[in-house]
Amino acid sequence: MKKSDLDKVKIKQIPAQKRTNPFANVFDEFVGFCRSRSMFMLHYCTGCGAIELPPAMTSRFDMERLGIQPMVSPRQADILLITGYVSIKTLKRVILTYEQMAAPKYVIGICSCTVNGGMYWQSYATAKKLDEYFPVDLYIAGCMPRPEAVIEGLQQLMQKIKANEANSWKQYYKNYDYFLGNQQHLFGNNWQTPTDVIGEAETYQLAGPNTLGEHTKILQSVQTPLKPLEMKL
Amino acid sequence: MSIAHSQNLNVLLQEIEGIQLTFHNPRRLRADIAAEALPALLALLRGRASYVHLSAISCVDWIDDNQFELVYHLWSYETSVLISAHIRVPRDPGIYLSVFDIYTPAAFFERDIHEMFGLYFEGSPDMSKFILTEWNGPPPMRKDFDSEKWVMETFSWQQYHPDWLQELEQQGGGIVSTPESIRAGNRPMENKS
Ligand code: SF4
Repeated sequence: MKKSDLDKVKIKQIPAQKRTNPFANVFDEFVGFCRSRSMFMLHYCTGCGAIELPPAMTSRFDMERLGIQPMVSPRQADILLITGYVSIKTLKRVILTYEQMAAPKYVIGICSCTVNGGMYWQSYATAKKLDEYFPVDLYIAGCMPRPEAVIEGLQQLMQKIKANEANSWKQYYKNYDYFLGNQQHLFGNNWQTPTDVIGEAETYQLAGPNTLGEHTKILQSVQTPLKPLEMKL
Repeated sequence: MSIAHSQNLNVLLQEIEGIQLTFHNPRRLRADIAAEALPALLALLRGRASYVHLSAISCVDWIDDNQFELVYHLWSYETSVLISAHIRVPRDPGIYLSVFDIYTPAAFFERDIHEMFGLYFEGSPDMSKFILTEWNGPPPMRKDFDSEKWVMETFSWQQYHPDWLQELEQQGGGIVSTPESIRAGNRPMENKS
């Protein structure tokens, strides 16, 4: 897979559509409001930007007044906060974590490093554009962004959720082939995750024309059933 | 360290043939020796001179000389002296002896150097991948590996031109050095040479 081939694929953002039934509308708005006011942020820090999170979480800036709390397990978390540069090794773990999170899930890329590799652009070990590997709702640039900026970003995310616009997680199912292609580009064609994303997309009825493609074909041809990990002491 | 001690050390180390000693200061000694003599020097320092701590092995790629320089940093808790033993080994075929039998921690440093520079240590217990488990390219710390070129071929650049930057540009400000101008080949310093 060449880089130039991947560049051709463009992802279309689908605007939020309101349902026709006014009662359903009210219900959607209510759900959006509730969602935006109670979010759990996964406690997973990748780079140096994580240093700004303790002040953002604790009494000085106090994220909790917005209803955002840290959560230790990906399965109960809503927000995946990528706090800085992601090395290729970390990226694998981040993708595993992202796929384990239950929808709806939101990804925020904090720090310039998540936008373009930041000052690690020339590094052989860091992944550059985060949204090549999974959809990102919001970037907060800065090296590193101050806690005020983090809070501001989280508030923006809340606004987006309230307006039912934070639907990037659906893109992962709809354009799985593109994301998988980029992942295979870095990790090789044997790359597979324990989550059956295609199956999930079909179950949630989110599979689109771009869910399957040449990359998913490669995945299906190399996929082996998962075995329990060997315990070694 | 007392003067007497440094004299003792001097006398002791003269047992190794062709050794060159340089005292940067009383607690910092540099020893340049031939690659073959290094195990003897380490055994001597460990066995008879209290240098029980191998704190690191570092590697330098002298690509113009076609050599790797290996620096063994040895520390004595009793005299608080740091000795660095410098050797040079040819870049091709890039094989050297492990000192694992003298200092056990050497296994980690050697494995790391093998991964980063491709220098193989004969007799080291484990030369498999260490930190760069996802890496299949050439050893990345070698001078002839062009990291920037690899990045250009592997990743793509994302345009980032937010509103606040556009506002600044309208006022005559903006980005002083573009990514292209700071690429390794375009730096003014390197163009001169
Ligand atoms: S943008 Fe700066 S602070 Fe953030 S991860 Fe990169 S280097 Fe660290």
